[in-house]
Amino acid sequence: MNYKKRFLSYLLPQKRNIFFIAISVLIFSIGQLSQPLFVGYALDAALNDDSKLFYIFVFVSLGLSILAAISDYIFEYVVGIMTQKMILSMRNDVYQKLSRISIDSIFKSSQGNIVQLEIGDVENIANGLFSVFKSLMEGLLAILITILMMFVTNWILALGVIILSPLSILVSRFVAKFSHEHFQKQAKLQASLNGISLEGINNSDLLQSFNYQDDSLRQYDCQNEILRKEGKVALFSASWVNPSTRLVNNTIYVIIGISGIIMIGLTPVYPILSMTIGRLSSFLSYTNSYTKPFNEISGVVSEYEAAVFAFKRIDDFLNQQEDIDEGNMDIDDIKEIQFKDMYFSYEKDQKLIENFNRTIHKGESVAIVGPTGAGKSTLINVLMRFYDPVKGAILYNGIKGTEISKSALRKNFGMVLQETWIFSATIMENVRYAKPDASDEEVIQACKKAHADTFISTLPRGYDTLVSAKEGLSEGERQMLTIARVMLLEPDIVILDEATSNVDTRSEKLITDAFDNMMKDRTSIVIAHRLSTIQRADLIIVLKDGHIIETGNHETLMNQKGFYYSMYSSQFN
Amino acid sequence: MIKKVSESYRHHVIAFTLGPALKMIEAVFDLLIPLIMKTIIDMSTFNGISAIDSETNPFILKIASFIRLFGTWIEDNQNLNYAIIGGVIILVMGILGFLTTMITQYVAARTAVLVGSEVRCSLYEKILSFSKKEREKFGNARLLTTLNADSYQVQQGVLIFIRLIVRAPFIILGALVISLVLNWQIGLVFASIIPLILFVIFFIMRKSSKEYLNIQKKLDRISIKTSDTIEGSKVIRAFNRQDYEIHSFEHLTKDYQTNAIKVARLNALINPLTFAIIALATLAVVLFGGLPLLESSQRDVALSSTIITEVAYLAQIFTTLVQLTNVVMVLTKSSVSKSRVDEILSVKPSITSKEGAKKINIPDGKEILRFDHVDLGYEEDGNLALKDISFELNKGQSLGIIGGTGSGKSTLINLIERFLDTTHGTVFYKGEDIKNYPLKDLRDEISLVFQHAVLFKGSILSNMQMANPDASEEEITKALKDAMAYEFVSKYDDYLLYPVEEGGKNFSGGQRQRLSFGLVDG
Repeated sequence: MNYKKRFLSYLLPQKRNIFFIAISVLIFSIGQLSQPLFVGYALDAALNDDSKLFYIFVFVSLGLSILAAISDYIFEYVVGIMTQKMILSMRNDVYQKLSRISIDSIFKSSQGNIVQLEIGDVENIANGLFSVFKSLMEGLLAILITILMMFVTNWILALGVIILSPLSILVSRFVAKFSHEHFQKQAKLQASLNGISLEGINNSDLLQSFNYQDDSLRQYDCQNEILRKEGKVALFSASWVNPSTRLVNNTIYVIIGISGIIMIGLTPVYPILSMTIGRLSSFLSYTNSYTKPFNEISGVVSEYEAAVFAFKRIDDFLNQQEDIDEGNMDIDDIKEIQFKDMYFSYEKDQKLIENFNRTIHKGESVAIVGPTGAGKSTLINVLMRFYDPVKGAILYNGIKGTEISKSALRKNFGMVLQETWIFSATIMENVRYAKPDASDEEVIQACKKAHADTFISTLPRGYDTLVSAKEGLSEGERQMLTIARVMLLEPDIVILDEATSNVDTRSEKLITDAFDNMMKDRTSIVIAHRLSTIQRADLIIVLKDGHIIETGNHETLMNQKGFYYSMYSSQFN
Repeated sequence: MIKKVSESYRHHVIAFTLGPALKMIEAVFDLLIPLIMKTIIDMSTFNGISAIDSETNPFILKIASFIRLFGTWIEDNQNLNYAIIGGVIILVMGILGFLTTMITQYVAARTAVLVGSEVRCSLYEKILSFSKKEREKFGNARLLTTLNADSYQVQQGVLIFIRLIVRAPFIILGALVISLVLNWQIGLVFASIIPLILFVIFFIMRKSSKEYLNIQKKLDRISIKTSDTIEGSKVIRAFNRQDYEIHSFEHLTKDYQTNAIKVARLNALINPLTFAIIALATLAVVLFGGLPLLESSQRDVALSSTIITEVAYLAQIFTTLVQLTNVVMVLTKSSVSKSRVDEILSVKPSITSKEGAKKINIPDGKEILRFDHVDLGYEEDGNLALKDISFELNKGQSLGIIGGTGSGKSTLINLIERFLDTTHGTVFYKGEDIKNYPLKDLRDEISLVFQHAVLFKGSILSNMQMANPDASEEEITKALKDAMAYEFVSKYDDYLLYPVEEGGKNFSGGQRQRLSFGLVDG
């Protein structure tokens, strides 16, 4: 979708609010800007000793001011509400999209980038929307009404102001554009400086163990120095805006004031000038307030640009192709998984898994072994349909994977991945994640099976301990929790990708026993480096460079004295 | 390295006084402009001269005689003459004010970035010297926020301080004084509205700033949820929990919205209220000034021009008050950030190299490492992670440590690398208390491969050179071969220059681990 069209789709539901905003800002501007006119009239009336007119002007102005204040409140409040409503739907849309794009797209974009969309970019849009609606609507209206009022007061001076006003706009536009470039440069430098410190602080142990602090500091200082120089230029160039527009405005003020004074002096001779003290008073007020919206509008230009930039980024994200999930068949009780002439690679010109053929039957326990980078985890990715084969297919009960809906397929599986995923919540909530309707008792039972209960019960708050992605637990403990999830779910097919690599060997043995127990009559697919854990597997597939080089059970493979045999021997001798 | 932000301020005392002082010149000129305008109106309209003659105000008289100094070069029209001279005076003042202000602006920009970069640099140096204990006390998130955001706020505070700290209060007070001198009744209107507006603004801002803290927390939750979702995208899909996640995310955004609207409702009050106060004050000025005009039978130009001037000062006070509240807001934020920076800068790292410590060489077979009744607790009077550990190891020997998950194996390593110091007992390295051994040499002599393999953004080469900056390509190739990483690294066209992305996420888990073995070997 075009980003302008998309923006309209967020704006249109706010029709009623926009109507309120337009009405209230109109009333406010008229009420606010008519005051100098009435003050001038009142002054002239007083000079002419017309007390009735004087009071009328003062009290009409009083009424208009109160009305203006009330409508200003309505205006600002509704703008606030509308902005919040619009960004709420943007945030939710981005999040929904995140759940719908493919795993591949998520892994290819950096994590910081998507978080930036949800936080920084959406906030920028909120600021932009708020200031554009507020300053732009208010400002443009103010300029229009001020010009009108100036013509009502004295058309000759009004013409003078209009001729002079481009001066002020030009100056502030010029300065804004110049400083804008420097601010963009500064933002980039800032980002790369933040990058250095992010890596440094998150891996301080590593830096310290290599005595690399001084080098990291030197790198940081160097970048910091560049940022300082650019920052100075950016700040200084931006700081021209206020003084120079003040200078221009003061000049206009003086020219108008002096011309007005001269016109008062000449009015008795040339009545067409029709200048009075009161009118000069109104006029000087208008000249002062006339330039203000220009400054404000040029002030929000940068916010507007930032918002448009942010919205384009969001639009790009929302325009991404969604994960293909064209299948609509349901599947239960998978009896047979067949890899048929399957090819897969992450990149087009790369070769990974080639011509893969194998059938796995229900109840079998299959182990996949092989050296680093052989494609073991990749096979799981394709099996779970996080990725689809480049050529060939995987058949589940004889049905092509692409014909089954992803959620229907995945509900048959339970998996423990190499990278443990713990989210910010309690331990109880983290384990229950696999089965939302499980009771506390069931969760505790699952943790006991995963031998996590031992360490959980030593924590001061037990199952209610808050944990998060990066803090609170050791790698082995985190693995135990993810194992507990699968123990709780008891899926038909269990996938373990180096699930116990960080767990101590004694616990590993106990966990393996618990799995063996659970996996009776269930299918299991296990990736393991420690070959001792898979000796009982019905089928061992040995992968190397994406090819199956050996298959069989432990005994037959050992007797073959091939690759498996050498791997096994190297681990135990 | 500075130990406190104020130290950095002290390096720039001249800038902090000169900048604001120069700014005063413009402020004085800004204050004088309406007054000069009034004098010109009085001098050049109707019976101008007589109006001035009857004037008692000392300011106006001074200005009038100053204008007269320039003589009368337009013989036949004195009114025009005074008007033009007055106009030229105002313009010259404006230009002078502009020039001095620009000097202040430059001083402000220069000083602000100098302070900012000095603070950032000292912070980063300090943080890198922290041991595990200090890092865990603050948390990495806090350290990063202070380094990136708080240092920026400190910089912003310096900028605004030099630019505006004098100008805003001076103009407000100055306008008040002038209005009192011009007409004390009208001046009283001024005196009463200034505190009123300040009260309204600060009352609302104080309330909304509390709400801002809440909003920030809600925003943090949205951010954490998004990160969690990205990291767990496979697991979420594997368990088919996408809809649940969307639902709970929408709950968070709704929550955020409720708070944000609360703030919007509060903030929406500021402008209408201040506008109403100023509008009423203007009408009060007109009313108080206009009544005597109605009563007097002659056209009192001086009094009516006074009203014009007072209205102009009201407008000036209004814009300056808004500016002042911004100044106060920035300075408050900045001082909060300053104390957060100071909090980190003032921490003494618990693990430092003892001065005068010397590197020792020992022959093979002599004791290299000894634990003597070592206890370690992560928190004060908390549970002990290690209890009464004693062992000895001689140079050339190897030590295996085994134990259940969470039994303290990594903690023990932390003590050997001195990421932590013992709670009780002593670790001896080469016969010397490990605390008395030079830290740099200790860590140079001990190489460590972490459980969680981490690579830094850059290239394979830059990562390999971390351990040994002078390593030649042959040495690195050998290290890679020893770590069994050569096999896949050699497949890259750009070999050692192959890029490494943040955290090394473009490598598989096993590949990362092999590369970090290579690091140690190099």
